Amino acid sequence: MPQTDKEILFDDLFRYNYRPLCLYALHYIQDVDLAEDVVQECYTALWEKLQEGAHVLSRKSYLYMMVRNRCLDHLRKKGIPTESLKPYDTYGIIDDNDAQERSQTEAKLWTAIDSLPDKCREVFIMSKRDGLKYEEIADELGLSVNTVRNQISKALKVLKEGIHKIYMFLFA
Amino acid sequence: MSDFEDRHMDFVLKHYQEGRFYTQKALERFNEAHGIKQKPRRRVLPWVSGIVAAAAAVVLCVFLFHDNDQQIQIMANAEVQEFVLPDGSHVTLAPGSRLSYSEKSPRKTLLEGKAFFEVARDESAPFEISADGAFVKVLGTKFMVDAGSSVKEVYVTEGKVLFAKSSDAEGVILTKDMQAVLSQSDAVPVIVMESDVNSIAWQRGSFIFDKTPLSKVLETLSEHYKVSFAATDLDKQLSGEFEAEDLDLIISLIESALDVHIVRR
Repeated sequence: MPQTDKEILFDDLFRYNYRPLCLYALHYIQDVDLAEDVVQECYTALWEKLQEGAHVLSRKSYLYMMVRNRCLDHLRKKGIPTESLKPYDTYGIIDDNDAQERSQTEAKLWTAIDSLPDKCREVFIMSKRDGLKYEEIADELGLSVNTVRNQISKALKVLKEGIHKIYMFLFA
Repeated sequence: MSDFEDRHMDFVLKHYQEGRFYTQKALERFNEAHGIKQKPRRRVLPWVSGIVAAAAAVVLCVFLFHDNDQQIQIMANAEVQEFVLPDGSHVTLAPGSRLSYSEKSPRKTLLEGKAFFEVARDESAPFEISADGAFVKVLGTKFMVDAGSSVKEVYVTEGKVLFAKSSDAEGVILTKDMQAVLSQSDAVPVIVMESDVNSIAWQRGSFIFDKTPLSKVLETLSEHYKVSFAATDLDKQLSGEFEAEDLDLIISLIESALDVHIVRR
């Protein structure tokens, strides 16, 4: 079955927005598995609507809206009071618009981390996420402290320079 | 990295798991569930294919080195692209447009083509855009610069902007919804009394018409989509907002709204 125009357009909608939508959902539900399920569900719901011939203006905003509502449903089901149904980052509550906007950048950062060489990424995450000292990382991975330091500065350089490049290349 | 980026990075790192949020895999899952056969995509830049499995390379970035000051160039090839500059300003580039700046002074930019700016406020450092024969200076606002043709155009949607021929030339101050054009023979830009909201349609993603004659509507669409039209009843008037996503859709909406027939030429 050849792809129809409609499928190609939808395909782009998926490619460009899947990861940002996942990051957006994550701000609400803080759970990677659940975020992927929610986003997949939303694409399915939109797809079915379009198949039925529904006319959806701005599909991207529509997707964001669907993701938000489904995340809120999940949180309500868990018995979280309505006034606490807010998006968060590691510093605290953020604004919904902010979460939508950030999801784009954060998706690119996620992609940039994916693009680091395996060892470099491993060292970087142990240091920046897990808060391990250089010595501890060196011990655990059997590397010299110097190598650890070099890998981290390499990762930072890639991400910092990459943040420009990332804006250019990466939509995945 | 700035605080702003740190905050993003902290959030991403907190949840990061290798191989998750993997678009290609998710898309395969989706296509399988809905019986869609995937069309293979051409990989334009094989060396980034590991990172972006199948995204077409629409934009590219060139790093040039001059006296240790890195020149950064951002560019939109086939599609409208939005970028965030190091100072937090947002730039939306029209297809085929380029913006460059040096790493040391990212608020002094050079534009080729057309761009819409949302400038981050910084009283101590004005944001500057130089183009061939046009100069724009600003403190924090949203506006569009079209330096793509011989007539330069600035359209302001928010805030205050100085528009001049060069940084030392006399200029005009533009505020919300004001538009000015600068032709090669003019020393000072001329303010356009009736500004055209559809100047920034490509950035906003929609066209707005208000009792606009069909002739003018088609002229606007023709400029945006680079196609020409012929139609019956050119003096019928159209009102409403139309998504700029799909030309065929807009045309069919206009046809049914006005009961006219429009053909592409």
